[in-house]
Amino acid sequence: MKKIRSPRQKKKILKIRMAAAALAAMILVLTAVFAEAFAPNDPYKTSAALIRTAPCREFLFGTDNLGRCVFSRVLVGARTTISATVFLVAVSFLIGTIVGMLGGYFGGILDEVMMRIADVMLAFPQMVVAIAVAGILGGGLAGAMIALGITMWTGFARLARSHTLSIRNEPYIEAARLCGVSPVEILGRHILPNILAPVLTSALTQIGTTMIGISGLSFLGLGVVPPQAEWGSMISEARAYIQIAPWAVLFPALATILTIVVFNYLGDAVMEYREL
Amino acid sequence: MGSEEIILGGIQLNKTYKTKERIVRPLQNIDFCLHEGEILGIVGESGSGKSTLLRVIACLEKADSGKLLLHGREYTGSSPSFAGRYMQMIFQDAYASFDPRMKMIDSLREAGRRNTRGAAGKNCDAAALREAGRRNTRGENSKDCDAAALRKPHRRGGTDDSRITEIVREVGLSEDLLWRRPRELSGGQCQRMSIARALCGGAEILLCDEITSALDVTTQAQVVQLLQRLRRKEKVSILFVSHDLALVGSLCDRIMVMKDGVCVEEGSSGKILGQPENEYTELLLKSLILL
Amino acid sequence: MAKELLKIRNLYASYGEEPVLLDISFDIPEGGIFCIVGESGSGKSTLLKAVLGLDRVLVTGGDILYEGRSLPGMPDREHRKLLGREIGLIPQNPAGSFNPTRRLRAQIRETVESQGMAYSEKAAVEAFGAVGLTNPEKVLSSRPYELSGGMNQRIAIAAALLPEPRLLLCDEATSALDVVTAGAVVDELFSLSRSRNTALLMVTHHLGIAKRMSDRIGIMKDGQLIETGSTEEVLARPREEYTRRLLAAVPRLS
Repeated sequence: MKKIRSPRQKKKILKIRMAAAALAAMILVLTAVFAEAFAPNDPYKTSAALIRTAPCREFLFGTDNLGRCVFSRVLVGARTTISATVFLVAVSFLIGTIVGMLGGYFGGILDEVMMRIADVMLAFPQMVVAIAVAGILGGGLAGAMIALGITMWTGFARLARSHTLSIRNEPYIEAARLCGVSPVEILGRHILPNILAPVLTSALTQIGTTMIGISGLSFLGLGVVPPQAEWGSMISEARAYIQIAPWAVLFPALATILTIVVFNYLGDAVMEYREL
Repeated sequence: MGSEEIILGGIQLNKTYKTKERIVRPLQNIDFCLHEGEILGIVGESGSGKSTLLRVIACLEKADSGKLLLHGREYTGSSPSFAGRYMQMIFQDAYASFDPRMKMIDSLREAGRRNTRGAAGKNCDAAALREAGRRNTRGENSKDCDAAALRKPHRRGGTDDSRITEIVREVGLSEDLLWRRPRELSGGQCQRMSIARALCGGAEILLCDEITSALDVTTQAQVVQLLQRLRRKEKVSILFVSHDLALVGSLCDRIMVMKDGVCVEEGSSGKILGQPENEYTELLLKSLILL
Repeated sequence: MAKELLKIRNLYASYGEEPVLLDISFDIPEGGIFCIVGESGSGKSTLLKAVLGLDRVLVTGGDILYEGRSLPGMPDREHRKLLGREIGLIPQNPAGSFNPTRRLRAQIRETVESQGMAYSEKAAVEAFGAVGLTNPEKVLSSRPYELSGGMNQRIAIAAALLPEPRLLLCDEATSALDVVTAGAVVDELFSLSRSRNTALLMVTHHLGIAKRMSDRIGIMKDGQLIETGSTEEVLARPREEYTRRLLAAVPRLS
């Protein structure tokens, strides 16, 4: 006989999945924050004698072309990548949500203008815009973040706007208007809490793509400037001697993949849980 | 039943809008008046314009032409916020009319905030009440002290908490329900709460839009009794929109029959049910499946 | 006395993990109309689903006998064969059972053929005419979204009647309709059942409909049939307090 799961059971399973993903993400973030404490070696210390050492007990992930400890650099690079990503997603989320809510609730000229700006942003492939903007701004982590953020907020704005549109004519919003609640309060008290969940979920799923974006720009030399450790730029540097020292590419790449998978999994788990 | 004074009126209301295929005219030269303490029923099938009429009265939509009068003064084109000082809407879907994330008490307080009738002083005791609410969410055994905390005056310049409790009891609910969210109530309880909210807001007119059509028969009967009691005790006037002629006939003093945006017949309940003059009214009566 | 078509014997059923139906027993003879009246949450829709073998309704005790054969005990394939052909369903919301953008002719043909019968335009036109649809050919060529709710519900009834089932299950078949349409649909359903000797098992919250149509009614509350009997008897001399309350709650014209 087919096993039937009640919604409650399903919810329980999803809850466990979500908790596991959240735990993994937490570990990653904590590792990134306390990277220096965990790093066995100085990530910036070069050594001519230890060039391209294969992974061993002292250098878990080996060393790179300048004799720097890859393990320590991956750890410290985590901080750069993860914190830049989280910060960028958070700022885009904030701006996008506010713009989308205002446009969706009030409509009119304001909405038109903002949505046309968003349309223009979306008319180009995100990465192309990012490369162009980062190129103009001339590299650096801040430049890369601005370049990515310039298109990212529009996604949140559209999402927030469509959710706002779908609830602005709900009876409870109308009831609040009849009760003399001011528009600002309606937005803050009634609309924001009710659209927050889907927009936040989308923000979670954006973390993975944004991380690829930042690492990608760094890989192209448009993001983090060496010698600062960052996964994308590490891969880029080490790719020249990949046949001699594959570990110098492999481990930052694995770290990137692992982090993206964890955050995407978390986003999916949360989304599925909410849809149930 | 009601006194002779007209509390709410509409003159020659018109509304038209275009959809892709056709032009819809939900209101065509509609006149109506509601006397103080009266229950006026508006009957019609879906698409007859009865709900649009209510929304126009509440200023949630604007009529293309015509006048709206409140206590003899024109209020056409006012904001919902202004209209809300005098009248409150009770929606068909009671659950949807409350913010799903808010506790009942907060929704009711929000409604009562600017009600000047329930206002007095400003000696806040919000902390005690908040504490009571917190305890309530933790366990069931703290009901007594919550009730005690509720009785303490809490005033914010609007309907104070003791008045909210009073109103909630009056609509036949226990004040424990105030700490629940909409989905934790039954349909009937939630609809009573929305009536309580309207009273907290100081409404003297209730605009009821199919408020019982989502409810079971027994629950429907209770809500109808509640409306009758409120009319007697609180002197509220009621506009009761429904598709159910039998229900409207048993509750209302006067009935307006609407079809395709036109008022086809108006008169006392006895007349509409007893000697209908319009063909459509007769058809409605004939279609009733009665017990 | 006509032969019993459907017999439900001490039926216990649960939905997911929750027991919903408790000890339900009643019979419907051939051509008989049985109405189950209950409020929301009474388990009346679950009962229909148990007969249909749908969803997550698990029969945990008792039996449902159709012409002496146990429906829950039947292999799935055989059960499905009975559905549609011998046991029809009129859903509460016809919009959900048709594809809104496909022509009705194609949809009805598909349904009929999936039941292993030949589609005949003449039969379809006749069935549409029988439920009071004027101009059946035109209706067959239109798409559900172009038609009103009342028309769609009539089409659902016609489609259910097309294979000439011997038992028709109605789940609040008129509650989504306007008053005028609902009245007409109820009358049509009644006369169709009488003229074709189709048995009806109706589920409704509307005592008026039960009174107008059914031979026998059962009052359902919290998963139990608390009172059954001939319609006249139950409505005139209710034995249970709950039935009396239900009767008192129905608005009447004074």
